[in-house]
Amino acid sequence: MREAATAAVLAVLAGPARAAEVSPCILDPAALTPREMFLAAAIGAMIACGVTSFLLAERVTERTHAALAALVVLIGGFCLFTLFGLAGREIPVAGSLVLLGLIGLFKLMNLFEIRRKRSLSDK
Amino acid sequence: MTINSLYFVNWWTDTLIIGGLSIITWVALLAFHHSDTQPIFWFALVLSLVVNYPHFSATVYRLYQSPDNIRQFPVTAWGLPLILFGAVGASFWQPDVIAPYFLMLFLLWSPYHYSGQTIGLTMVYARRAGFPIGRRERMALSAFVFSAFVCGVIRFQQNGTSGGFTDFYGMSIPAFPLPDWTEAAAQAVMWTGALVFAGSAFVWCLEQKRLMPPIVLLPALTHFVWFVPGASLKSFWIVIPFFHSLQYLLIALVMQLKLRIDVVGGEHSWRRIGAEARRWGMRNILGGILLFIGLPAAFSWLPLPLMTTAGILAAAVNIHHFFVDGVIWKLRDTATSSALMMNIAEFAGPGAVDLARPNVVEA
Repeated sequence: MREAATAAVLAVLAGPARAAEVSPCILDPAALTPREMFLAAAIGAMIACGVTSFLLAERVTERTHAALAALVVLIGGFCLFTLFGLAGREIPVAGSLVLLGLIGLFKLMNLFEIRRKRSLSDK
Repeated sequence: MTINSLYFVNWWTDTLIIGGLSIITWVALLAFHHSDTQPIFWFALVLSLVVNYPHFSATVYRLYQSPDNIRQFPVTAWGLPLILFGAVGASFWQPDVIAPYFLMLFLLWSPYHYSGQTIGLTMVYARRAGFPIGRRERMALSAFVFSAFVCGVIRFQQNGTSGGFTDFYGMSIPAFPLPDWTEAAAQAVMWTGALVFAGSAFVWCLEQKRLMPPIVLLPALTHFVWFVPGASLKSFWIVIPFFHSLQYLLIALVMQLKLRIDVVGGEHSWRRIGAEARRWGMRNILGGILLFIGLPAAFSWLPLPLMTTAGILAAAVNIHHFFVDGVIWKLRDTATSSALMMNIAEFAGPGAVDLARPNVVEA
């Protein structure tokens, strides 16, 4: 049974693994598309926010850490939007989901760097 | 409670600025509108110089005028501009791949931001009128306002797009695709919210044995006009940002007066109010020109059409404004909420304070 499950997982992953083997971007970073380069830069920005938060541990308030986390969400959300923003053209329901996601993002950003009730470090 | 205590200035001024003027404009355009929107576009552009652009500048000015603010909100003051600078850079670098999404984000965020202001204004006037907004009223109001926003997004796209694209600063922005049933669903939620809120208001009127002051309901009514019937009229939605900015400037001016005049040793007189308002107004007009004309001019060396550069920078300034607004206008903040309960006459002198001080009933 265990061998069968392992074989099934390997069979599922074999396709994507082979696709990765032949990806030209792995062989030549210069072959990255503009969108991929943008995503790479965005990942870099998210890492920078995380590192900043890490380095500032116990030096800044919890509110600042939460704001840095919100920036990560904003950057990630925008990346997903550039990838799936127009998915509604093909799948109408996806358009509604993207809109709901954006409203959630806007709502979260509306709470950006505000004083929190349970913020112990702000006291 | 004096009659003035409900208002920032007085019945006429508040009613016109908060929504009366925009509703009159909508009715006038509905009656006399014809398809040529060019004259309205140019008129709106001129008004932008003295109202829209200064409203953005007022937010920037409010955040950066005091080192205390910058220390208090370091991520908003420094981190956010850096991220937006990166987004602007990416949009300049890939004007066909990244910029359309950046602008789409702004075009969707903008009406959401207007919705937030509508809720804020309703809360302020409700508090001034002594109408308590509890969890149920807040949810009903939010359901009404945000569903109207969704209806508006759908109608703007139906009426403002051509071949699936919206024209923004000469750029073609893809229309945001939504299924057909979305508007019906949004309308159902919107009317449910309206009914629940109206029910609460009706019960309050019965309990208080008096009518609710119309100014409490005016922000939501105005929002409805902007985003539901008004969104089908292209000549009208060109001027909606002007009316949103006008609302904002009224509140921001009172806040500024509170900061500058209502301090220990501050001179309380109409002369001082006039001088401070002029100083603040001129600075914001100048700041607005720098943000929306000076900044694009500074990037005019880029190998892009100037309108593209201006559009991307305008989107960045707007998004920055949405964040800063969220940070500096929280009603939970005591300094903000006390300023939002004042009447402008209170800054003129102690006598005026007694006449116009609002009878505050905590919500």
